[in-house]
Amino acid sequence: MSGTGHTVKSYEEEMQSLNDNLVMMGSLTENQMADAMAAVIKVDKESVDKIVKNDGKINELRTTIDNQITNVLVKRAPMAIDLRITISTMKISHDLERIGDLAKSVAKKVKPLPVDLPDELIGSLRRLGDLVQKQLKDALDAYLNRSKDKAIEIWKKDEQVDDLTNLAMNEVATYLQKDKKNLEMATHLLFVTKNIERAGDHITNIAESLYYLIEGEYLEGARPKGKPVES
Amino acid sequence: MELNNSKIKIKAKNLNVYYGKKQALFDINLDINQKEVTALIGPSGCGKSTFIRCINRMNDVIDICKVEGSVEIDGAEINEKNVDVVTLREKVGMVFQKPNPFPKSIYDNIAYGPIIHGAAENKDQMDNIVETSLKKAALWDEVKDRLNEPGTSLSGGQQQRLCIARALSVNPEVILMDEPCSALDPIATAKIEELIDDLKKSYTIVIVTHSMAQAVRVSQKTGFFHLGKIIEVDSTEKIFKNPANKMTQDYITGRFG
Repeated sequence: MSGTGHTVKSYEEEMQSLNDNLVMMGSLTENQMADAMAAVIKVDKESVDKIVKNDGKINELRTTIDNQITNVLVKRAPMAIDLRITISTMKISHDLERIGDLAKSVAKKVKPLPVDLPDELIGSLRRLGDLVQKQLKDALDAYLNRSKDKAIEIWKKDEQVDDLTNLAMNEVATYLQKDKKNLEMATHLLFVTKNIERAGDHITNIAESLYYLIEGEYLEGARPKGKPVES
Repeated sequence: MELNNSKIKIKAKNLNVYYGKKQALFDINLDINQKEVTALIGPSGCGKSTFIRCINRMNDVIDICKVEGSVEIDGAEINEKNVDVVTLREKVGMVFQKPNPFPKSIYDNIAYGPIIHGAAENKDQMDNIVETSLKKAALWDEVKDRLNEPGTSLSGGQQQRLCIARALSVNPEVILMDEPCSALDPIATAKIEELIDDLKKSYTIVIVTHSMAQAVRVSQKTGFFHLGKIIEVDSTEKIFKNPANKMTQDYITGRFG
């Protein structure tokens, strides 16, 4: 008896294709997040349309993965590790799709922003974006390496995302208080910040799904939360 | 390997079985809980049928078969010389892969056991046993108007339920089922599975099955056999979602061989 592939080769191929599509989706989502953040920081309005268009590819992959999973469930009635891979892939692909949507929303907010965005507004936002991108990259690496420890680390690290979100929001609020004319710009930036933070939440979901895939159990206990926004 | 507070009905300890020089079971230790369904899975020839045949000493009828070790039911050893195997098999009924009704009427198929065991004093009592047994096996409504027809005139699924009714007619405590649905279509299988669900309220059931899906659906506990050894026993949920043993995982996910 070997512990390698399925006796039925087509089953093996189906699971491999599912994995490949999820990895591809992860890679596209990573790019979208990076492009969206770069667009905000540089107020690069020209890149927005491309980012919006690229989101379609991520959505298509999600549909493909959904269909593949339906087929695997019907044809194979997967058990044990195959069952956990199937369920986790479905959940992770949905989280990636949502992260893609959030990246698109972030990009769309670039168009109404003034080209001379004050530096004092984007310091924490830039750091927040970097952290969330790092979390996403780590989550995808952890998926590839089936790393339980990394999954837990990512899950816990969302606290830092929350803290940076609060900091970035406070900076925008302070700027807004200086001059009410900044209201429109500030509102857009608050949305951008909130969307990035929500992408972070989806990354913790991915970490949870990955942990379930590896361990067959759910991550227990309350996740550490960042400090609430000061008013 | 006790999982919860359920009472242990059957306890196999260091059970070894030989067919001539060939050893079929190696040091089997397995607890079977009362009023639960225990599923035994594993590739053909792994010893699961040999194991259940040890529970009602069906192996006694095979000359070259030698059983060593212990099987207790309610704490009493069944392999003692003074144990009456007829009484034992009254307590531990069995249903086989292929439905095997006697070449008799539906009525007589059920009445046969109670007659041997002297369970009925008159026709009314026997009628009552037949009706009750057929009802417990969810067959009564389908056969009540044709009790004098041959058991073999029924469909495969009905014949299997007739065999279950026959086992129930002598008030057993344990029912052993050796691939009871492998010769049945999905509808007949569903009826047997529905019946198993119902019967487990009153009986301890051990089922050998090659269908993983069936093991998941009907059982609370699952044991995986391989080459005469028990590899893993755990709650059915644990075995099929996250087995501890790699060999179990390879088997149930189709990575075997």
